[in-house]
Amino acid sequence: MQPTITKEEIMQVYPKVAATMADALGCDVEDIVLDVSLIEGLDAESIDFLDMVFRLERAFKIKIPRGKIIDNARGDLTEAEFEQKGVLTPVGLAQLKAYLSEVPAERFREPMKVADIARLFTPETFCKLVIMAQRETKTA
Amino acid sequence: MSGHFAAFSFVDRITAYAPGQHAHGVFDVPKTIAAFPSCFVAEAVGQLAAWVAMAHVGFRVRPVAALAVETRFLQDVIPGSALELAVALDSCDDAAVAYSGHACVNGSTVIELQDCLGPMLDIEQFDAPEVMRDRFELLCGAGATPGRFQGVATTQLVVTAEAPGQSLRATLRVPNEAPFFADHFPRRPVYPATLLLDRQIELALRLAGAASDWHAGESIALVRMTNVKMRAFIEPGDELELAADMAPPIGETATIALSARTGKRQVATAQVEIERRQDR
Repeated sequence: MQPTITKEEIMQVYPKVAATMADALGCDVEDIVLDVSLIEGLDAESIDFLDMVFRLERAFKIKIPRGKIIDNARGDLTEAEFEQKGVLTPVGLAQLKAYLSEVPAERFREPMKVADIARLFTPETFCKLVIMAQRETKTA
Repeated sequence: MSGHFAAFSFVDRITAYAPGQHAHGVFDVPKTIAAFPSCFVAEAVGQLAAWVAMAHVGFRVRPVAALAVETRFLQDVIPGSALELAVALDSCDDAAVAYSGHACVNGSTVIELQDCLGPMLDIEQFDAPEVMRDRFELLCGAGATPGRFQGVATTQLVVTAEAPGQSLRATLRVPNEAPFFADHFPRRPVYPATLLLDRQIELALRLAGAASDWHAGESIALVRMTNVKMRAFIEPGDELELAADMAPPIGETATIALSARTGKRQVATAQVEIERRQDR
């Protein structure tokens, strides 16, 4: 079961997330539209993801463990339920689609490799990451 | 003599150490070398952080230079100086180390690094873990013999295009062989990011120096470098295309965007701020 994140919550953090991501990617903040693919649309590389998470931690005063997006997507599934040998199980893929509900269905490959999940990420994915981390900070 | 722990190593001794948290160290800049650029001072701080990080994760992985949000250059360091290094780790795990640090000479801060991040990679790619562990114990104990560093031959820039006060383009051919490759790193030679940054700073100073209507004959000095991002390793023999683009100066400060590419691949980006000064 994925926790609910409302559009209002996303729009609340989005301006600061967009500004932070624009700094990390060296692009204009106007380029950080909510549903752009970070890899295919903004040429983000793995170092940019590390940079974005690093900056978001500081901007929002939160802690985001590495690999947290996939952990969040996995939810309460075990690793074996979520993926087998680097490929998502049908249950894992359904769970990922539910977590990345903002990503159009046609962008999910079948079979889907864990290594390809980052290709789906958008600024909205990072807004959700921040919101989840804020919730965890509040409950800690 | 092997260049390992000599040709590009800038920590002689770790004088205080709280595992996974912070450390102090020293490095005696040899009197015999011609110069010790500020980027080497930053490298020294980064290397101290790397030792603390590697020890914290049991020498399974090691950090490599990737991100530095802000570096402030406060004073030049001359050969013969005793560098006092300090680092504080914000976080450290098998994925990345985040740290800040500074270096002092005679109690005065010469450089400050804020919010640096190095991804951790399998140490076996770069060096023998047991050799690194033994070296760390030596640094934490008696320390290494000072004076090992013999300087680095400058890699010359070849300017390919120039719009004075606006932009500069240059090529930088990384040597196929150099003593520092034996140290950085023994199993995988990589052109040090700080050497690239040193060359990029030279390009930026040359560009700002050509903006004669801005500095009007006053001296100029590097004061700050921000948003350093290394995207890929630079290999021996690589030919880099360097770019420096200067925004219209505001008051005393000129900001210059720097980038380096190998072919179509952007390998590094950064920004520097240069100030004009009457007193230098």
